Amino acid sequence: MPYIALARTRLAVPRSMFAALPYFALLLVALALPLAGQEYWTVIATRAAIYWVLVSGLNLVVGFAGQLAIGYVALLTLGAYTASVLVERAGVHPFLALAAAAVVGAMAGVVVGLPALRLRTFYFAMTTLGFATIVTQVALAWTGVTGGGIGVPGPSLAAPFDTAQGFYLLCIALAAACTWMTLNAANSRFGRSLVAIRDAEVAAEACGVAKARLLMLVFLFSGALAGIAGGLFATLQSYITPDAFTFDLSVLFFIAILIGGRGSVLGPLLATLLLTALPEFAAPLVAWSTFLYAALLLVIVLLVPGGIADVLDFRSRRALPSGRAVVPRIQLLPALLSYGVSRDDLTLRGIALSFGAVRAIDGLDLDLRPGEVHGLIGPNGSGKTTTLNAICGFAVPQSGTVRIGGTTLPLGAAPRRAAAGIGRTFQTPRIVGEASVIDNVMIGGTILGRATLIETLLTLPRHRREEAALRDRAMTALRLVGLEALAAIRADRLQHSELRFVEIARALMPTPRFLLLDEPAAGLSAIEIERLGQLVVAISRQGTGVLLVEHHADLIFAVCDRVTVLNLGQTLASGTPAEIQAHRDVVEAYLGR
Amino acid sequence: MAADALLHVEALDAGYGKIGVLHRVDLIVRPAEIVALLGPNGAGKTTLLRALSGLLPWTAGDATFAGSSLRGADPRACARAGLVHVVEGHRVFTQLSVTDNLALAAYDLPRGERSARIEDALQVFPEIAAKHTEKGGALSGGQQQMLAVAQGLVRRPRLLLLDEPSAGLSPVLVDRVLLVLARLRDAGTAVLLVEQLVEKSLAVADRVYALAQGRIVLNAPAQAPGLAARLERAYLGVAA
Amino acid sequence: MLASIIASGLALGAVYALIGITYNVMFAASRVMSFTAGQLGMLGGVFGALFVGRLGVPGPVGLVLTLAACAAVGVLTEIIAVRPVLASLEKHLYVLSTLAAALLIQQLTAIEWSTEPQPFPRLLGLGSGILDEKFWLPVLACAAVIGGLEWMYRRTLVGRAFIAIAEDNFAARALGLPERRLRMASFALAGAVAGLAGFSSGQLLLAFFANGAMLNFYGFVPVALGGLGNNRGAVLGGLALGLFQQAANFTVGGVFASVLVFTVFIVVLLAAPQGLFGAPAVRRV
Repeated sequence: MPYIALARTRLAVPRSMFAALPYFALLLVALALPLAGQEYWTVIATRAAIYWVLVSGLNLVVGFAGQLAIGYVALLTLGAYTASVLVERAGVHPFLALAAAAVVGAMAGVVVGLPALRLRTFYFAMTTLGFATIVTQVALAWTGVTGGGIGVPGPSLAAPFDTAQGFYLLCIALAAACTWMTLNAANSRFGRSLVAIRDAEVAAEACGVAKARLLMLVFLFSGALAGIAGGLFATLQSYITPDAFTFDLSVLFFIAILIGGRGSVLGPLLATLLLTALPEFAAPLVAWSTFLYAALLLVIVLLVPGGIADVLDFRSRRALPSGRAVVPRIQLLPALLSYGVSRDDLTLRGIALSFGAVRAIDGLDLDLRPGEVHGLIGPNGSGKTTTLNAICGFAVPQSGTVRIGGTTLPLGAAPRRAAAGIGRTFQTPRIVGEASVIDNVMIGGTILGRATLIETLLTLPRHRREEAALRDRAMTALRLVGLEALAAIRADRLQHSELRFVEIARALMPTPRFLLLDEPAAGLSAIEIERLGQLVVAISRQGTGVLLVEHHADLIFAVCDRVTVLNLGQTLASGTPAEIQAHRDVVEAYLGR
Repeated sequence: MAADALLHVEALDAGYGKIGVLHRVDLIVRPAEIVALLGPNGAGKTTLLRALSGLLPWTAGDATFAGSSLRGADPRACARAGLVHVVEGHRVFTQLSVTDNLALAAYDLPRGERSARIEDALQVFPEIAAKHTEKGGALSGGQQQMLAVAQGLVRRPRLLLLDEPSAGLSPVLVDRVLLVLARLRDAGTAVLLVEQLVEKSLAVADRVYALAQGRIVLNAPAQAPGLAARLERAYLGVAA
Repeated sequence: MLASIIASGLALGAVYALIGITYNVMFAASRVMSFTAGQLGMLGGVFGALFVGRLGVPGPVGLVLTLAACAAVGVLTEIIAVRPVLASLEKHLYVLSTLAAALLIQQLTAIEWSTEPQPFPRLLGLGSGILDEKFWLPVLACAAVIGGLEWMYRRTLVGRAFIAIAEDNFAARALGLPERRLRMASFALAGAVAGLAGFSSGQLLLAFFANGAMLNFYGFVPVALGGLGNNRGAVLGGLALGLFQQAANFTVGGVFASVLVFTVFIVVLLAAPQGLFGAPAVRRV
């Protein structure tokens, strides 16, 4: 297969070298710009660099985490006024004032971001919009501090940054640093988790992603960058009034990210440069610029939701070989799963859960043993998936206990299940379609990471070590399920059956003690179901306890050590496959008599 | 065989996004017959009904109703042609009165004809006729199911697609609804019935199809000898 | 001072309530919250000033023309920004597509009309001081809209079809209701409601392109307070907001009034995402 060869060469050459080329090219152009002797162009480029300092942080919020923060001009305003007022009215050193602007920006970033934990898309967008309106009104009316409509002078920096060129180089250096840091964050468990929150939130939680903590960190970071950008912006403007911070700026920042493409760093960078420079090429366009941005936004949203990054992604247009078959390599299992001596059962006792007046589960007992495959079957609405959700913390029972050995797991609290040793797959695969297959599998290893966000941003040794180990392990998991040739491919290009196996690989990443599979055979061909069955049995023989929810009765009876039949939220029967098949009530329940 | 068919489905494929649910489904319903569509969970029964009534686009194959193709027809066009789908889960409008629920089913009929149609539909179910001013939300589950079926009857369908009318009903009410189906058939209406209750369906149906994993695995007269055993095998995933 | 607070508070509150109803009417038929709601309100003022003020059309005719123009813009929003998104798999993109549509409307107005507030002509010449028509016209408009909507929902089949689509879109479609036509009709209706809000408050808010963004936010607060889809909640929330804002304006000044309103808004959203008066029952399944 030429396809595998292709994937191998791609891995053999350090990918980062190729990927870094456009950034170095841009940096070279930026450094050469002052040599052109056009001072006006240097000013425009300075502005673009400052905008990028803000947009690079916002990109993590909007492009990666998918939070629609459309009022970020508010943070630019806060940073600008903080720096200007501190220098002008309190005589603080300009660099200290910039640092203060970063702190104020970070705090405001958290204030703006906090509602994102509870509010959905439009509501959150509206709160950021409201925040932007309020900040402008305060800047206008608080004349004693901000100077109101008259304004306040921006901070002037000390030599060598007091000239246009010196200031430009400072901004370029900062912009380059921001690019580097956000790239580091993007290619880490932080970046992958953010994208997972955006596109597959439930799966992210099942993998142990702590959404609240992660989002707050990102809002903190992007707020700090926005505050710094504000301080620099005030210096560039040399005099600021509330008029300088129109909502049009917010629109520019936001649209730059969407045009650039979500989940990309290069795309939004190019789009920021483009949108900043565009009105300069044609003076008549200035009045129409926001109109054009809006038109562009509409076109992008409706026609190319992936933005520039998608258009430039030639690799994803190359055809994949057809007629692919998934062939797991069971012999690789010991390399991935190895357990200590712990032989604790997962026990459910008296679980009862109702949705309103409907009793979904009614006093259920269940024991999962390490090394066994336990089948869970029953007619529609008998409570199979609800049982699985109760174990995983996605549904909160009104009463009952879930224990592993002697440890009682808190009911609910889904993001803590991964650390407790419970992994799962979903009825319809929850996959990040825009991320590569291997990135999707690496999301499963989120809880293995220890490096902090700072270590990641600065790519310190611990982060690099962890990242390499995680990638290795993910590759092993992909080899195990027979999908290593597709590791670098965007996941949304895979067939449905392949996604099922990607989900299993992802769930195996943190060495779960119990693996819960929700209808893994749905949509698979007969031969794929057979291979799935072999894989499931092999996983259990490694010491994992497997819970298999399935409609395919033949698969259940072929691979399970024990089977529990649910009906109307209660155990109808439990025993070996042979006992269940002979059980008259089961057949009756299935045939609805 | 197909010449006298009211509904003729040929090699139909349909699904949600990437997930194919139905694979080359062939099925025929003739005028004035009750056809039961049985099968285990997740076999694709609801998906098939949705594909036929225009609620779900299909990916391959064809289906004709009364001689014209259903390709690209939306639910409104289907209903106008006389193919009416009563969806699962007795989803009536809880904030509207029983009469208004029925009036909406007659939305694009002439105003004069509307009240007559509503009267007719209510006559079939005296239980809800007595409550015709009450809100849909005030009805019991069984009454809501009757209202849902009555909504379908307002259209005077040539073919009625019924998705699990027995769900959540007491045995007495199930018999009541199935009796209505038998009367409809005698009056010339064809019915395609999706059910979990196998024995009760067989008692009222003329023919039966079984669907498993998106494929038709059984097609037989409802009174065929040994049908129960064949169905049992079909449910466990083995072609009967 | 109390009389001024009540007069201007009720007037602005009525405008906010009407924009809240605009959000609700669009949402009911499409499950989409549209950023064009406030812009349509702004257009009501601009079209009114254009027809009645600049072109000298008689008041009632100007009102009809304004409502028709706003209804048309509402339908246009549905066609370019809502329908394509509902047809795609990523329905949440409506936030961005309607934001783009709103910006297009706002910028076009700024360029083709004016970036400065323009006067709005006196319509009836009735009342003065706190009984001036500019204070009671919006209240009258709000009462008329509420009465009209109640009549439509209770007495007409179209109104019942709107209720049906709002409660269970899938069942309504299965029943053969013309879902797309009803959705367009509801966007036309929403446009007219917002247009009426802008027209009736023209003398108070003037014909100003930036009113759109302001109304977008202040019109959304009643929706958040009253619960999504709850028109009575929107009216109560709108009037409460207007009175609260004006009272704060007169007593502690504009800055703190804005900050207070925003704080209350955030606190309510976080503490009671369903609104203070509760949203209608969530759809089953």
